[in-house]
Amino acid sequence: MPKFNENHNYKGTLVCVEGIDGSGKSTQLALLRDWLKEIGQDVIFTEWNSSELISQTTKLAKKKNMLSPRTFSLLHAVDFADRLQQVIAPALKAGFIVLADRYAYTAFARDVARGVDSDWVREVYNFAIKPDLAIYFDIDPKDAMERICSNRAPKFYEAGMDLKLSNDPYESYIIFQSRVIKEYKKMVDEYGLVKLDALDSIHSKQVAIRTMLKDVLKAKGVDYDAV
Amino acid sequence: MTQFKTKHGYEGLLIVIEGTDGSGKSTQLELLKKYLQAQSYGVMVSEWKTSRLIADVIDDAKDRNLLNATTFSLLYAADFADRLENQIIPALKSGFIVLLDRYYYTALARDVVRGQDIEWVKNLYDYAPEPDLVFYLDMPVDVLLKRIIGTTGLDFYESGRDVGFSTDFYKSFEIYQKKCLEQYNAMKSEYNFKSIDGTKPIKEIHNIMNEEVQKILDSGVLY
Repeated sequence: MPKFNENHNYKGTLVCVEGIDGSGKSTQLALLRDWLKEIGQDVIFTEWNSSELISQTTKLAKKKNMLSPRTFSLLHAVDFADRLQQVIAPALKAGFIVLADRYAYTAFARDVARGVDSDWVREVYNFAIKPDLAIYFDIDPKDAMERICSNRAPKFYEAGMDLKLSNDPYESYIIFQSRVIKEYKKMVDEYGLVKLDALDSIHSKQVAIRTMLKDVLKAKGVDYDAV
Repeated sequence: MTQFKTKHGYEGLLIVIEGTDGSGKSTQLELLKKYLQAQSYGVMVSEWKTSRLIADVIDDAKDRNLLNATTFSLLYAADFADRLENQIIPALKSGFIVLLDRYYYTALARDVVRGQDIEWVKNLYDYAPEPDLVFYLDMPVDVLLKRIIGTTGLDFYESGRDVGFSTDFYKSFEIYQKKCLEQYNAMKSEYNFKSIDGTKPIKEIHNIMNEEVQKILDSGVLY
């Protein structure tokens, strides 16, 4: 059984970004992708809950609010396993830089915040491949809520309304996302996630990320000097 | 008579019928259900892979050969979780006799045959309540093969064709079913199966099951 804490030996490089919605991770990943393409690297992008196999079912079930925490967890694991074996692993074997918007850590943060056992969900995902670089965008839930809820209310699962923490979606969001963030913070040590302050400027975060990625690529012997 | 205590702590009873494809599970389940209903018990039946949420996804994915061993395991685990939390546990809490056609032992057998680590699979189901009774319909492989071929015919996944044991359909089927039987045999004592010779006449098997279930009911557990 592959263990999630062992380095992979593939030619490619796996980079993932983590953090709650509104932490700016997708923006940073998009900037990184454009840059890597610009300098002639083979890049592939994959995001959470997007597999052909199951993502539509999960979205539908979410709309109908019919998921228990454990079913929620397992359906996302199906999605992840499908993308890992269909997209991520083949691309790594072929030498791509794989950019993942969210990774298994998302499950560890959200599912545990929903009351799923922390060891259980880690064991479920033990087939995952350890990323070469995993970045966590740290943000206060109030700041994140301001960003994402400027023109809409928090969504049902995003606010953790399934947990009946509060009838007010805004209040529920703060309680639930605080729990999620607490889990992320634990993983900074546990999995070596690199923490960035989400409130730093877009530019300074991108500079930091490119510097880290260059180091990773250098260590793997990837030539990016064509820049 | 000593008071029977349920193994899961809920009001109702959880009774499972296990066995490979073609072992006669559905027939026996139906008979047992009627027998219990005739005695005015509330009976709920739930079959493997029937959650309204996920069963269709599994069928569709199978049709299109989209599944690998890991997604196969996880999808069945999701189906199980959905049925357990939405049907089975609520029914147990309200005092029903829940009759299950297959339980997670099926997943343990099939997933391990597909190469998954047994501890990983066990973890997927480790929250499942322990049944009060597990009947296992034990069938020799040759009888089983004939039964399936004579009824439903060979199915791609039931023949383990996805695992790649053999390109010959029959050979693959034989290897797959044999390996599943080995897994079931290994589970017999670990999970305390009441193993019944599946080649016995339907009526005789039914009587054996009734007797076991009646013993529990006579203890007054559901009064």
